[in-house]
Amino acid sequence: MPSLLSRRGFFLRSAVLTAGAVVGAGGLRRADALLRIGGPEDPEPSNEEVARILREISAGRPIRRGHVSLDMPAVAEDGRVVPVMIESDLPMTPEAYVKGVHLIVDHNPDAHLAAFHLTPAIGSCAITTRIKMKRTTWVRAIIETSGGELWADYTKVLVTLNGCG
Amino acid sequence: MANEIGDARIRLPEQIRKGEVITVHAIVSHPMDTGFFRTREGNPIPAYFIKDVVVTYGDAEVARFEWTSGVSRDPMVTFSLRADREAPLTMVWTDNKGGVYRQSANVAFATA
Repeated sequence: MPSLLSRRGFFLRSAVLTAGAVVGAGGLRRADALLRIGGPEDPEPSNEEVARILREISAGRPIRRGHVSLDMPAVAEDGRVVPVMIESDLPMTPEAYVKGVHLIVDHNPDAHLAAFHLTPAIGSCAITTRIKMKRTTWVRAIIETSGGELWADYTKVLVTLNGCG
Repeated sequence: MANEIGDARIRLPEQIRKGEVITVHAIVSHPMDTGFFRTREGNPIPAYFIKDVVVTYGDAEVARFEWTSGVSRDPMVTFSLRADREAPLTMVWTDNKGGVYRQSANVAFATA
């Protein structure tokens, strides 16, 4: 009875069926790609730890690009002090707001570098800080809304001086 | 900052109008040691970092940050706040060795 299936349930079912079909055809690697949390143009997790962090944040929900910007220098001269700016254009009202901001640096020893938990009283989702980077890597900013949507932005930063030891 | 560990500053705009969204600048003096470095004598420097920051406006907790030693030495952060009432903005930084550091700034409206 398709009419009784929720949209979400339907998509999940299709995804599982599709993945099953691909595995059946002997395409394990392609199945992995299909089951990825992000879109095809998003950077793949650089290691198992990052994959685990993304799964934990995602909890089965898609992480799409948009509604958040991650501003960092393209080249970090000193990996000990790299400026980060994360901003979202989403509203901060009691009805709908950004409740969480995650900063992930793929090749750092502690990849899930920071999480910022916000409330509507904050008024606007705009955070700046300074971080350490071990080497050239993708950096991910993922925001979670009060409605449970996940939005992300990615940027690759070239690090010339290791800031993590 | 040539300050003691835990010395903290919060900077608010000089003029605040009721209801506007302001930018809060905060910095605390802390080594933020990762635990991956050694002293010149070869002894490991243990991890020592701020792991939790709580922001309270009046009586309400308005934000909470979870940090790792990946945040730079003397961690600074800026964030927004909807200044809808006159009340103290308080920040409490807690490190992984139980150190607790507190600083406040008053949100007060400009008299026109």
